[in-house]
Amino acid sequence: MSTATSAPRFVRADGPDKVTGSGRYTADLTLTGALVAKFKYAEVSHARIVRLDVTAARAIPGVFAVLTQDDVPDVRFGPFVQDRTLFARDVVRFEGEILAAVAAVDVPTAQRALNAIVVEFAPLPVVNDIEEALAADSPLVHDEWSAYGAIDPLVRDRNDASFASIAKGDVDQGLAEADVVVHSRYVADGCHAAPIEPRAVVAQWEGNKVTIWTSTQVPFDARAGVCETLELPANRVRIIVPHLGGGFGGKCGFHYEAHVAALAKATKRPVRLVFSRREEFVAPDRRREGIVFDFQTGVLRDGTITARKVWLAIDNGAYTADAGFFSQLAAMHALGPYQVPNALAEAHLVYTNHQPSGSVRAPTAPQTCWALESHTDEVAAAIGMDPVEFRLKNAVATGKEGPSAQVYDEIGLVDCIRAATAGAGYGGDLADDEAIGVAIGWWPSFSVPSGAYVKIDGDGSGQIITGAQECGTGAVMTLRQLVADELGMQAEDFELVYQDTSVAPYDMGATGSQTLFNNGRAAVAAAGQIAEQLKQLAADHLEASPADIVLADGAASVAGTPSRSVPIVELAGIAAGGELLIGHGSGAPPAPPAVTGATCVGDVGMTAWVAPQFSCHAVRVKLDRDTGVARVLHVSTAHDSGTIINPIGATGQVEGGVLMGIGQALTEGTRYDDDGKQRNAALLEYKLQTCADAPPIDIHFVQINTPNAGPRGAKGLAEAPNVATAAAISNALAKLVGTPIRQLPMTAERVWTALNQEGGAA
Amino acid sequence: MSDPIGYTLHVNGVDYPVVAEQGRNLLSVIRTEIGLTGTKEGCDDCECGACMVLLDGQPVNSCSFLAAQAQGRSVTTVEGLQQGDEMHPLQRNILEAGGVQCGFCTPGMLLSATALLERNPSPTEEEVRIGLSGNLCRCTGYAKIVTAVQRTADELRH
Repeated sequence: MSTATSAPRFVRADGPDKVTGSGRYTADLTLTGALVAKFKYAEVSHARIVRLDVTAARAIPGVFAVLTQDDVPDVRFGPFVQDRTLFARDVVRFEGEILAAVAAVDVPTAQRALNAIVVEFAPLPVVNDIEEALAADSPLVHDEWSAYGAIDPLVRDRNDASFASIAKGDVDQGLAEADVVVHSRYVADGCHAAPIEPRAVVAQWEGNKVTIWTSTQVPFDARAGVCETLELPANRVRIIVPHLGGGFGGKCGFHYEAHVAALAKATKRPVRLVFSRREEFVAPDRRREGIVFDFQTGVLRDGTITARKVWLAIDNGAYTADAGFFSQLAAMHALGPYQVPNALAEAHLVYTNHQPSGSVRAPTAPQTCWALESHTDEVAAAIGMDPVEFRLKNAVATGKEGPSAQVYDEIGLVDCIRAATAGAGYGGDLADDEAIGVAIGWWPSFSVPSGAYVKIDGDGSGQIITGAQECGTGAVMTLRQLVADELGMQAEDFELVYQDTSVAPYDMGATGSQTLFNNGRAAVAAAGQIAEQLKQLAADHLEASPADIVLADGAASVAGTPSRSVPIVELAGIAAGGELLIGHGSGAPPAPPAVTGATCVGDVGMTAWVAPQFSCHAVRVKLDRDTGVARVLHVSTAHDSGTIINPIGATGQVEGGVLMGIGQALTEGTRYDDDGKQRNAALLEYKLQTCADAPPIDIHFVQINTPNAGPRGAKGLAEAPNVATAAAISNALAKLVGTPIRQLPMTAERVWTALNQEGGAA
Repeated sequence: MSDPIGYTLHVNGVDYPVVAEQGRNLLSVIRTEIGLTGTKEGCDDCECGACMVLLDGQPVNSCSFLAAQAQGRSVTTVEGLQQGDEMHPLQRNILEAGGVQCGFCTPGMLLSATALLERNPSPTEEEVRIGLSGNLCRCTGYAKIVTAVQRTADELRH
């Protein structure tokens, strides 16, 4: 185990563009003749469309097009359940659903057109509560649910869009054998990714091909969505992402690229869409999902877990988007990184008339970790055991079996617990109004295909042409270092060509913390092909065997005879007149481990994880008991994300992820009115953490050799720091309040209420 | 919007003749009439600070400031921080400290920090944190940005 990082400090390649203002983001682009796009939204949560008349809007001078579902191919789409159309058809199911799209000469004209669209609705009952939606007599969000196409493993029933369960052993027997069974209920509100850049899309057709500049985290996914909904082949749709102003999952998936492309086609003009902050809150299908949890854990007096039984229901919102795998993923997180001999987790993904859910930084994990880890402290307290000792006894460890029967190879969770608690001074004296809470979390490394090319031109300068997407994390920036090291060159010798689907091979995008894990492997493979070419060229030049050639310090040398050497730039010149230096690689993703000891219903592959990441957070919190206001004073984190290749990027991910977690813990939660509409869709009412709120964060990296990790033993990192933060804060607050805060976010109002109710410590 | 009016804006040391509607905000005029897109729009409501510029050295959310009212005053945007090809020490330090991720908040953050160091060349960490609290960053957790500002203050004092 090592907690030090020896890698060189690293200045990101896109940095100068970003600090000088020369870097272009999508909303900075303009094209000659471009029109402005605006959307007409439902603004009601559930209604049948009685009348939608765009005639008057189309007649306004300066309005070039008004499109509805009648004007695009009638395609239902969705990666898990095909329950969505580009524009509303017959029924609207959440306030941000698009009825029509306008392209006009300027913003005021577009706004006039929106106002001129005539809409009449017949109200339908609003499904506003996750648990009520599962009742047999609940109104349906989708009357036609059973007619929708869906991927094979999904188990669906009425408002339940995806049921999943994980079962191991005999959970009822295990609970019966326990000395103590602790039963807890927790409720997490939904929240938002809230990137600072609102999304933007610009589309332009030339002949039968369309180019779309868009603020997406997943260019190839966006392309697939355009191809499916507008019925185009992939090679006629080019997605280009200028600099991306943050995403956090909010810009994953396919969103508005097809709407804008359809407007551009209809008007024969470039069309540009830029979202307002309110649209960013209300419209996209990428809200972090609210979840209701019910936990039972049985333990022996010595702290051994005998069984865990979990029921949970996730707010899917009105459409399924990419949330189809959330039920199984949440079931895994609800059982947790613990040795549980008898386990049953049942998870429902439930349609409501809320904005759709979708992948936001570690989807389902922070809320589920918050609930499970708060429950875990209750379990430890019930047998009078220190909660850290309880976790050290029960956490998954190398060679031990987890709740889905996966037996883990080299993992560092126990090391994480020791490092994080030591860094927090856990067990030491604290003021009366302070406490340290501890929580553990985990996250999979998604093993998926990914591609990259590398080329070196005749002057010895190189380019990495990658399908990977940079959303700010620096993961793509790190590719330069990996490629340069393979070739004995400098990172500065390489420029990156990225975020263009017509230029680079496929990658899943800035999602799932997978860029370095998969695309890093691809880039190294591509560089390896060039290394072989260079070694052959050098061998010919130096009259040696290729096997004896070493690439280092910008030169190819004969091993053991450094005087027999030729600069790589000279070899590049030779290659430019013959066989060009071109490499290509794809990730060759390792398969997940085979697991047979658990029964999984609705199995979408989320129960056996390649190279999982682990973390422990120990957080010191101060509570003002008069007001219920909590303040995080210090965070000590430890992460097993494998080898840390870029320390400055890695610590930046942890600092940012932890602060996002603090916001989720204390202030960030979406509130709905009785009609299912968001009440706080603005940054003044939905509070992000500011610079003045941010506590010091100590970071420890537990670096161990993990089988099937990415290049040099790296695993993912960007999502993991978000997982256990709210949970650790909850456990500190529970100590200070005397009872857990059972709702997330743990706002001052909720903390104050808990302090002043019966059983509180006030 | 009202009828266009003509006026001159002094931005980064250059006089720009502008013809724009009276109701246009400074952000919109800088980005679309003058063509400097380094200044970003994050909320159009004074909540995020991405649009921050300096007006006679004072930080202002340009989304909520009438462009015509900036006549006769000196506007600084992120493009005006560089001296020739040389980065401002804040730009260099925020890069080297790792205080830039997606970069969307960075221009506003840099201008807030510039104004802060102008009025307080030796800020404590707490003063830096309060000085930057009108600029939301979702990526970094702010730690490396604070480091960069403190490092710059040290450099500029020596």
